[in-house]
Amino acid sequence: MSQKEVQNMQMIQELEIEMMADMYNRLTAACHKKCIPPVYGDPEIAKGEAVCIDRCVAKFLDIHERIGKKLGQLSMQDEALLKK
Amino acid sequence: MSVPLPPGATGLENIDPDQIKTFKDFLISYNKLTELCFTDCISDFTSRSIKGKEEKCALNCLEKFLKVNQRISQRFQEFQVLANESAIAAAQKMGGS
Repeated sequence: MSQKEVQNMQMIQELEIEMMADMYNRLTAACHKKCIPPVYGDPEIAKGEAVCIDRCVAKFLDIHERIGKKLGQLSMQDEALLKK
Repeated sequence: MSVPLPPGATGLENIDPDQIKTFKDFLISYNKLTELCFTDCISDFTSRSIKGKEEKCALNCLEKFLKVNQRISQRFQEFQVLANESAIAAAQKMGGS
């Protein structure tokens, strides 16, 4: 591989990590908002809240993947259309 | 004037860029936490002083926030491990045949 290729690969990898971190931050904010009511009588996570968080994380990642797939499909279609 | 240093840094001369990144992340989450707990706990502006109830709420909010983040990070890591394993399995299938 040329130096240019190595450099570009590093840039892409860094971007992937950065986007992963961004997605993680959004996930955290979304699930906190959806599962933790704004009443703080107790510093512990309630049972129901814990279950909610677990499902929320799973669902968020699931949707992230599904949207990614669809987005990939759509951009492939677009590219194919542009080539015509 | 004293400059707040990232934890673990001994002086201003040799700070690792990674440490700065970690410190920045910490400051960002500190700000977010303040915003969240302030919005959820403080809504009475008829008095300047923070009431006992408001302080208790804010401190509970902080503690719970940290616990929630910890739990989310655990779950996230579990998914990460699963995704890695299936990626490795898929690569082996491709390379093995």
